[in-house]
Amino acid sequence: MIRSLGASTLGLVRFTGALGLVLGRTAINLPRLSLRELMRTIVLFGYRSIPLALLAAMLIGSTVVLQAGIYADKFGARLYTGWAAGYALMREFGPLLLGLVMAARIGARNAAELALLSINGQIEGLRGISLDPFRILVAPRVIGSAIAITTLGSITFLVAVIFETIASYFSMNMPVRVFLTPFDEMLRASDLLGGLAKTLVFGLAIALVSTVSGLRARGGAAGVGRAAAAAVVASCAAIFTLDLLLTPFLTKVFS
Amino acid sequence: MNALLRIFGAPAILLVRSIGAVRRHGLDRRETMVQVVEFGSKSTLLIVSGLAFFGAVLVTIAWAQARKYTGNITVVGPAYFELMVREFAPLLVAVLAASRIGAAISAELASMSVNEQLEALELSAADPLAELVAPRLLGSLIALPALFIVGTVASAASASLVVTFAFGADGGAFTDARFVEAPDIVCAFVKAVLCGGFIPLAAAARGLEAKGGAPAVGEAVTRAVVDASMGCLLIDFVVAAAFILIGV
Repeated sequence: MIRSLGASTLGLVRFTGALGLVLGRTAINLPRLSLRELMRTIVLFGYRSIPLALLAAMLIGSTVVLQAGIYADKFGARLYTGWAAGYALMREFGPLLLGLVMAARIGARNAAELALLSINGQIEGLRGISLDPFRILVAPRVIGSAIAITTLGSITFLVAVIFETIASYFSMNMPVRVFLTPFDEMLRASDLLGGLAKTLVFGLAIALVSTVSGLRARGGAAGVGRAAAAAVVASCAAIFTLDLLLTPFLTKVFS
Repeated sequence: MNALLRIFGAPAILLVRSIGAVRRHGLDRRETMVQVVEFGSKSTLLIVSGLAFFGAVLVTIAWAQARKYTGNITVVGPAYFELMVREFAPLLVAVLAASRIGAAISAELASMSVNEQLEALELSAADPLAELVAPRLLGSLIALPALFIVGTVASAASASLVVTFAFGADGGAFTDARFVEAPDIVCAFVKAVLCGGFIPLAAAARGLEAKGGAPAVGEAVTRAVVDASMGCLLIDFVVAAAFILIGV
């Protein structure tokens, strides 16, 4: 019991230390970032994830409205449905669910790629020809994934709102104009910015956590699998923790 | 459309073939129990902490809405609680489990497949579907509803603690089960059971088809987790819509 507690605490401390190191070295390498690699990351993680983000947006939008509609009818607050659905989408469910899906898509892929390089000794190889792996591998990935996820977040919000409107039209017979009026009157730009800020933080967390678990991978094909699995789990845990920390903070800043 | 067929088709075929394999070879009960422990107890920490954090966030939002428009948390509290039990807890438990269980299964099976251990199993007259896939399927089917219960309790507990200590209101007001009726709980469990069956099948389908070296393992895990979480989102949406359509 105590042994396993100690081991997991040590593991956590090591992981946090590695996280700090990667973050620090990324920040140092920021001015001389490899632009080509950055573009490649954005295409790989952002552009290629668009179909997945769109599918997630459709489902999130329709589900939020289906649920909000029940309460709108129960409380006789049909006019507020648009506000409730939009607020919930932008401040909470949009960023959270997009973060979880992208942890699966981007986090697992990033960790698997880096784990592969690290197991095959290609990262030492880079050092051997005096190229800094943090400059050409790690920093572009961290920055690129953060940019990609934030951009996907804005697309997701837009598509989800469209699907909310469609779902409310079909499930509640709500005219489009009535559904969209509260967006104009009751939601502010700060709600959208708060959601995008959350998405950006989640994106950075996914990128950092998956990079660290990828670089720490040891031991053959099984090691690659373990690193990818650990990256997804740790990213999800990080997203929930950050969500709890960010929500009161953002409510204070953007209200 | 193709992607959708791919996400649901391969697990469906695998399900049929696994049932056939179990009928021919019998099910390894011991291995099934091992998998229940593996999925259930090892995911508990992630799911309890995740859902506890989510409960706290949800109640913070409910509090903000209550202060702005209705004035009192006792008005929105019960509605949020029903939403939590019926919709968010099953959804989040399923997505978290899809990452945790899906990644574990696909990583394990893919590395076995890459190292040709599956062929070795077949050579020793054992069917990988009966030996490996069926216990994982059954284990996850048992573990996921249990995880859903634990997660819901954790989120409700943390929500009422936050209301009591952070907002200084009556914590019981949030966990008021006034609106929670039998169909809500049935709906939640249907989601939990369907996702519990889907996750291991989707992950095993991706894991078993991994061919090549270490890159194939990483690729299999990525695809498995994406398939599993998208499938769970889709299942949740379809079940929610079906329950609303039949009007409960």
